[in-house]
Amino acid sequence: MKLKRFLLRYYPPGIILEYEQGGTVKTKSIDLLDLKPETDVDSVVDEITRKEPLITTSKTDQVRKLIVRLQEKLCHVEDRYFYLFKVLRAHILPLTNVAFNKSGSSFITGSYDRTCKVWDTASGEELHTLEGHRNVVYAIAFNNPFGDKIATGSFDKTCKLWSAETGKCYHTYRGHTAEIVCLSFNPQSTVIATGSMDTTAKLWDVQTGTELNSLSGHSAEIISLSFNSTGALLITGSFDHTVAVWDTRSGQKVHTLIGHKAEISSAQFNWDCSLIATGSMDKTCKIWDTDSGRCIGTLRGHEDEVLDVAFDYTGQHLLTASADGTARCYNSVTHNIISKFVGHEGEISKICFNPQGTKVLTASSDKTARIWDPETGECKQVFEGHSDEIFSCTFNYEGNTIITGSKDNTCRIWR
Amino acid sequence: MGLLSLLRRIRGTQAKELRILLLGLDNAGKTTLLKSLASEDISHITPTQGFNIKTVQSAGFHLNVWDIGGQRKIRPYWKNYFENTDILIYVIDSADRKRLEETGEELTELLEEEKLSGVPVMVFANKQDLVTAAPACDIAEGLNLHQIRDREWHIQACSAQTGEGVKHGIDWLIKACSKKK
Repeated sequence: MKLKRFLLRYYPPGIILEYEQGGTVKTKSIDLLDLKPETDVDSVVDEITRKEPLITTSKTDQVRKLIVRLQEKLCHVEDRYFYLFKVLRAHILPLTNVAFNKSGSSFITGSYDRTCKVWDTASGEELHTLEGHRNVVYAIAFNNPFGDKIATGSFDKTCKLWSAETGKCYHTYRGHTAEIVCLSFNPQSTVIATGSMDTTAKLWDVQTGTELNSLSGHSAEIISLSFNSTGALLITGSFDHTVAVWDTRSGQKVHTLIGHKAEISSAQFNWDCSLIATGSMDKTCKIWDTDSGRCIGTLRGHEDEVLDVAFDYTGQHLLTASADGTARCYNSVTHNIISKFVGHEGEISKICFNPQGTKVLTASSDKTARIWDPETGECKQVFEGHSDEIFSCTFNYEGNTIITGSKDNTCRIWR
Repeated sequence: MGLLSLLRRIRGTQAKELRILLLGLDNAGKTTLLKSLASEDISHITPTQGFNIKTVQSAGFHLNVWDIGGQRKIRPYWKNYFENTDILIYVIDSADRKRLEETGEELTELLEEEKLSGVPVMVFANKQDLVTAAPACDIAEGLNLHQIRDREWHIQACSAQTGEGVKHGIDWLIKACSKKK
């Protein structure tokens, strides 16, 4: 094993080691999820040197510099106010979802008008229109961190793979017998998983365009799915009230997470994938242990359905958004509530952290999106202007640009 | 409502739930009809750029009503919403005699759609509160409704503005669906 170079990852803080083993280049990451600006650098360096054989004494100086860089980045918390940068009359029918590429240089929008559009973030120019689906384009994704491909899932029951650079369609994946409503690339960008109203999830080969596996076992629609960070596991959330954990290689079900008393709305891994959070129409959020499949906590308090859940990048905080018009932030280890976000005048359908974990973004049927302080619950900003409900919202990786997508057929860039 | 509730509505697996598609030319009064069904305020209604969905309870049924914008450029997208439709409601501005032919053509095309084959159609001859409105029988004649053989159909004079006739129409469509289910 020979260390070739270091790569720095800001959010969540970490150092990626690129090394050579048996002639092939591999990477592994040292996660520093607990790193704070005030953390003692020497003790971190000592610990890494002790645990990581690739880090020899000659490398410790370099590691120390990298950690200081990460700390500097953590110190640099800007309390920025976002201004409306552009209104894009993006589509002739309502938008569904929006997504950024890793660098944030471009983003994509899906729509009821059967297209997905690729946009340049800096100028607001349309780069490509991905045409070919015969019904609503509902689920969309970049193959981050690479960002050279886009996958679209449609109510026409197919999934398509496109070049993000040219807009050319590489493959059309056929096999689902009902609407595709969720999808994701695996972290290596070699596999696409799609979840469908036909109750199955399918795995598709990015390179060859063929079906690799069909994951059947749910008794109702699959509406949420997510890979773990190695791509070995996939979780699927279903209207059958359960979440399934699948081995992506064998296609076998590893666990069924049983406990919710109504439909699942969202299922997410935390960063190290040790925990799974699930939101449900039963008004609760549950936290599960990935290895054992056991429920280790139930977060109650919402007065109506939980519509979305989200971890921060370090996995220490967990957000819930509800049809009762409020959202909450919990400590994902102690399960104690940290703050409540009260102010929206309609249900909150989407919630997320900025990559730094210092801001919470919510989208609501009251036609506004809002930013909140996760520690105090204070509303920092209200984004007004959409003339109909907001279906989707997201931060870019730097955390300095926000996209909102609305039923009013437009999307807005805020920065 | 959010994207998730859209998915719950396209499921439509609950026993006594009907999926109703509300179509017609722009300015026919579809959204006003939808809002009047849901007993909502109808004083500020703007052209529908996309769609509106409401669930209305009637005679023990949950009516999931999808109101789709009728402007010419978005009519090609009506297809997006055909799947699993139990009843088609087609709304006509009875006072807009100039576009009677156009609305007839759109309706004929809808009735030829494979995904809507056999789906009962309920035509609302709307805006009967206007003095220039054509009577329902003239509209039925103009649209050749009497030649429909492959499904149940009904025409109902109504005014979404005053609410007159709307209830009768809904009663008919629930009866038509009870027979089918």
